[in-house]
Amino acid sequence: MAEFYAYKYSTSHLFFPKIIITLLVVLGLVIAVPKLLAALKERKNGGKKYRFFVEGYDKLKLFGTVILMILYVLALDLVGFLPASILFVLLFNVLFCGTLEKNSLLVSAVIAVVFPVAVWLIFGKLFNVTLP
Amino acid sequence: MMDILASIFTLQNLLIAVLGVTMGIVFGAIPGMTATMAVAVFLPLTYAYDLQTSLILLLGLYVGGISGGLIPAVLINIPGTPSSITTCFDGYPMTLKGEGERALKIGITASLLGGMFSLVCLWLFTPPLAKLAIQFSAVEKFLVILFALTIIAALSKGQMLMGIWMGLAGVLVALMGTFDDNNKLRLVPHLFRKELIYGFSLLPVLIGLFALGQMLEEAEKGMKKEHIDKGLLAKNARKFSFADFKGQIVNVLRSSALGTFMGILPGVGGSAASLMAYTQTKNFSKHPDELGKGATEGLIASESANNGLTGGALIPLLSMGIPGDSTTAVLVGAFALQGMQIGPLFISNNQDLWYSVLIGLALCNVIMFAVMFFPIKLISRIIYIPKQRMYPIILLMCVVGAYAANYGVMFDVWSLIVFAIVGYLFVKLKLPATPFLIGFILGGDLERYFVDALKGSGGDLTVFFTRGPICWVLWLFILASVAYAVVQERKDKLKKAA
Repeated sequence: MAEFYAYKYSTSHLFFPKIIITLLVVLGLVIAVPKLLAALKERKNGGKKYRFFVEGYDKLKLFGTVILMILYVLALDLVGFLPASILFVLLFNVLFCGTLEKNSLLVSAVIAVVFPVAVWLIFGKLFNVTLP
Repeated sequence: MMDILASIFTLQNLLIAVLGVTMGIVFGAIPGMTATMAVAVFLPLTYAYDLQTSLILLLGLYVGGISGGLIPAVLINIPGTPSSITTCFDGYPMTLKGEGERALKIGITASLLGGMFSLVCLWLFTPPLAKLAIQFSAVEKFLVILFALTIIAALSKGQMLMGIWMGLAGVLVALMGTFDDNNKLRLVPHLFRKELIYGFSLLPVLIGLFALGQMLEEAEKGMKKEHIDKGLLAKNARKFSFADFKGQIVNVLRSSALGTFMGILPGVGGSAASLMAYTQTKNFSKHPDELGKGATEGLIASESANNGLTGGALIPLLSMGIPGDSTTAVLVGAFALQGMQIGPLFISNNQDLWYSVLIGLALCNVIMFAVMFFPIKLISRIIYIPKQRMYPIILLMCVVGAYAANYGVMFDVWSLIVFAIVGYLFVKLKLPATPFLIGFILGGDLERYFVDALKGSGGDLTVFFTRGPICWVLWLFILASVAYAVVQERKDKLKKAA
């Protein structure tokens, strides 16, 4: 036991993490066990079910956002900052507005061109910030 | 001193301050967007400027962001930022009575007073605290961070153990990467040994948790538009006058002081500050029944407290390098971008910069007042800006910020996405994110000081108790905060049982 937590130069990189992990595990048990017991009791009494998402949550927007974010980063690598950003700012606008109405699409398109170009000009060209 | 004034009051800096404050107000006023987000999103812009100008921009965003939250709180009963929760209680009833404009102007004035009060505290308390902190050895430094972590836990209402656990989890994530002493990699999956050689960078973690996590939360709720009754806003039944503040001086001072104090405590955000001030005002009020029905008292308490937070949160940051809230945690990132280590030596080594912070903060408060008070009708239109149009742009800025943080590392953008999802999960599982962030920021230091202290003592653990009076006082603080948490927890349980 004492050996496990002893400080040695060769293993000093694991010294502090070991302590933290021990604390996390012990404290985790202290938190989780009473909660689990309470949950089991509740279930026996036919209590309410645990709900992760808010009621009537927007599946399309939530999962759409996660998927679009991942695709966006992939696209940044593939086609570069400006084309990827214009495309995905447009897609996000359409997703969040949730309509394919003409006027809304037009606004989305304008935003999708103006902002990425502005960021590209101001950051990339004017300030020389590295862009993807 | 004159040089500093001359270097601050340039046209560029003034424009930057106005830009920062205005953008801050916009972020603050749109529900679902926060001051922290404003500061995080504008971080990449600071590459282009020196530290002084960057700080003015970021302080402007901070002050504007905290203040802007009062607009929707008063007009549509939705806090623009979490710190404006209590502003709704009395602000919205006033709007219902047709006193919307008056309520806004009272709130803005109270914000200015709170901000200025906290500035004075910042100016008075930071240098002596830094002077004390300079004498700290590894032992005291370790204990200060430990105290910071216990304080967060003590104030995570009803979630003390969870708060500690999240703080420790943040520490663990911070330990990922190479350990400087023996140059060995730890806690990193083999697959990512190249990308994570220095662990996760601060910025992607920060922006992911606090800006994009929120975006996912809003997406889950469907990014709905808030319903706004336009007729209500046009009425102006009773005009604002500065006489409204007559008899409120004690209230302003008490609330600002509470806000500043809550700001100093690490990891405690504006919502805790304004709730505390509001409750105290109710306790001291001559007409406690009036509060919640449109009493100016409550409005003043809430707004002077949340702006009092701004200066307070900077005190531990500039004296010890410990951020007072999530927004000042982003400021750590700003200093890091400029290659500056923030800690007890900051003030004595950077006198000019220290005065720039003070004057810049004063300037931003005054600009905040000017920008909001006079064109209030115009400014309150911000609440019509649709967030479904803002979020794509915010994502764009976040990606730029994360990518640029280490001069172009794609892995940082991936970390951003990962922590966005983690931040969202935290909210869903009701895990407090701020302790995690503070643990993450301070984790590396915590380890270094602990190891250094033990090396100094030859592995003797008693060194943490025997190093002298400062040490004992810190232990007293730590024990007091834990005791406070335990008592509070028990009280809540009794209340629940009753």
